Amino acid sequence: MRRLDDQRYIRQTILPEIGPDGQEALACACVLIAGVGGLGSITCLYLAAAGIGHIKIADGDVVELSNLNRQIIHSEAFLGQPKTISAAIRIKALNSHVRVTPVQERITHFNIDGLLKDVNIIVDGSDNYETRQVLNRASLRHELPFVYGGVQGFNAMVSSFIPGQTACFECIVRGPGIPSDTSPGIIGPTAGIAASFQAMETIKLILGIGKTLKNRMLRISGLDMRLHSLKLVPNPECKACGRI
Amino acid sequence: MMVHLNGIKEIIPEGMTIKTLIEWAKEGDPHLIVEQNGTYIYPSSYDTQSVFENDVIEFINPNLGG
Repeated sequence: MRRLDDQRYIRQTILPEIGPDGQEALACACVLIAGVGGLGSITCLYLAAAGIGHIKIADGDVVELSNLNRQIIHSEAFLGQPKTISAAIRIKALNSHVRVTPVQERITHFNIDGLLKDVNIIVDGSDNYETRQVLNRASLRHELPFVYGGVQGFNAMVSSFIPGQTACFECIVRGPGIPSDTSPGIIGPTAGIAASFQAMETIKLILGIGKTLKNRMLRISGLDMRLHSLKLVPNPECKACGRI
Repeated sequence: MMVHLNGIKEIIPEGMTIKTLIEWAKEGDPHLIVEQNGTYIYPSSYDTQSVFENDVIEFINPNLGG
């Protein structure tokens, strides 16, 4: 089995930044994927493929036809089925050695602490401000990194919020914006790009390598093919991270 | 004076702050993120943070879809 694992990960363990010790660190890590929509679909697969030992996936929704332009972990065969089950089956098919814990629940202030048992990193796969607020507060309480991703249309944002080291999500995003009666439009690759950056950030944070998006917000414009990095600073008036 | 606002050269009145620039641009999102010359600006600084000639300013609506 060990030899099989060696072969599976050979193209990443030959990287000096990872090596056998890094692979072991990935195998020992536990990540919460908070939502398996457009973002979570991709982060789940890349993190499973990379050999993250334990992936918890939490989502309360079922697979709908309108999800399938971007939520590519799911398929027509799972229409109407819980997203976490659809995702768990796909993850196990990709890498049967990964432990997957599907939690078919909407993330709330009431269940988040239980969801975070043994978790090392929170990966944002949610689609609204309120859930991200729950994740951000939990990240601060449990001192866990929160890898944020957000998408709309052709645009995306990604950042890593590390309690005690960086601005937090609510330092920067203070509310849900202008309410809308309709779901925002999105093209699939937007979610794919943002989620790929999130997966890369998660792996780097676990391994302690490279330059992460600490105190930086990466903004991606798919229409213009522009990447732009915004320098963030903790907000001294932030009500969440208490830097007043 | 001239500033770069969301990638477009704009002629704006002299002596503006971020707050008055938001009003001038008729930005309606109360949770707007403001970037001035690559750095995030605190909302509490909007009415004291001056806008200067050739500033590069971005008004960013957070992407909250997933």
